[in-house]
Amino acid sequence: MHELSVCQALLRQVNDIAMDSGAGAVEHITIEAGPLSGVEPDLLVRAFEVLRASRRATAQASLSIESPAVIIRCTHCRKESPTAPNRLVCPLCGDFRTRVMTGDELRLRRVALRIP
Amino acid sequence: MCQTCGCSLNADVAREGVEEQRGRSMVIDVLQDLLAANDRVALHNREHFDEHGVLAINLMSSPGAGKTALLEATIAALGERYRIAVIEGDLETDNDARRIRALGVPALQITTGTACHLDAQLVHRALHDLPLSGLDLLFIENVGNLVCPASFDLGQHRNVTLLSVTEGDDKPAKYPVMFRACDLVVLSKTDLLGVLDDFDPERAAAALRALGRDTPMIQTAARRVPALAPLAELAGAADDRTAIRGACCANADGRDSWGLTHVPGRAGTRRCSAGQPMDRDRGRRDSHSGINRTDR
Repeated sequence: MHELSVCQALLRQVNDIAMDSGAGAVEHITIEAGPLSGVEPDLLVRAFEVLRASRRATAQASLSIESPAVIIRCTHCRKESPTAPNRLVCPLCGDFRTRVMTGDELRLRRVALRIP
Repeated sequence: MCQTCGCSLNADVAREGVEEQRGRSMVIDVLQDLLAANDRVALHNREHFDEHGVLAINLMSSPGAGKTALLEATIAALGERYRIAVIEGDLETDNDARRIRALGVPALQITTGTACHLDAQLVHRALHDLPLSGLDLLFIENVGNLVCPASFDLGQHRNVTLLSVTEGDDKPAKYPVMFRACDLVVLSKTDLLGVLDDFDPERAAAALRALGRDTPMIQTAARRVPALAPLAELAGAADDRTAIRGACCANADGRDSWGLTHVPGRAGTRRCSAGQPMDRDRGRRDSHSGINRTDR
């Protein structure tokens, strides 16, 4: 359940942004957590529901999680392919030297704030 | 610090644009890694290690795979050649630290309570009680868990993941985040292979390779002395620890590899297959959200 730790870090970041912006409250938070991020979105949502009240700015906030599909780029044939998180070899030429282009993100994407 | 997630666009938060909406609402586009705070502390830890010339290795596995036994065997084999210390992470008890101390090696126990992983801050606090001067090798034995530890950079130079043969050879397929993060896989308890008909090291290697990795895999049985040779090779990296610390062999896919397995002792002068020079900045990899995200 490291989603609790991740959620605490998220709330700290969002709170800082709200303070810097002079906002009274956070309305909505959007994050990206790809299948290779190591974070389970459902667990993160549950952690968020418990922890959001720990800070006044986020007490009424909602959270949505975007999960970009895993897309790899083969360094041999240079083609991009969608694939499963545990099948990261190139499905076209079979080369294992691939780069994950999307699918391992774990980042804060967007915050909607209410200005007092 | 990070070239991929966008946090380097601005020292704090990269705000692409502030858009007034619905009169009194404001939407801010942010591109910031959720674990940026952890990564900053991890970077700080790494600077401590580098400053003292210490090679830091993060040891991860499921509970009971044999991390402490591997450390005991490593200390027995190499404790006279290298000055070793261990940070132990467990939810409760200092049993593992006591096992290490019994071998005359300093060990510091972190009890995490309910936390299922070590993070950079926990390790940083431990470093205040563990003098790094005079050390060659620091092993950080993470909490036994194949999921959570993979997401937290501790400041280590290398990740080693143990996979015991009693766990099943499909573990790399089941836990891709963990096995993508490691620099070396150690198959442990291989002396049991003779009585297990459902673990095939070749299948484990294939599952590992399916993750787009050429991560080396070595086989050990820590309780058998003859099986210690690969461990000697592992810790032999300390001979070349300065090079290893910076040793990122920038392969064609940008993946770094253990110098010790491919070209032992020559990591500092080695050039990778793609003809690119060693990346001396390996320690400051773009750990966008955890460990070893060098594949972009």
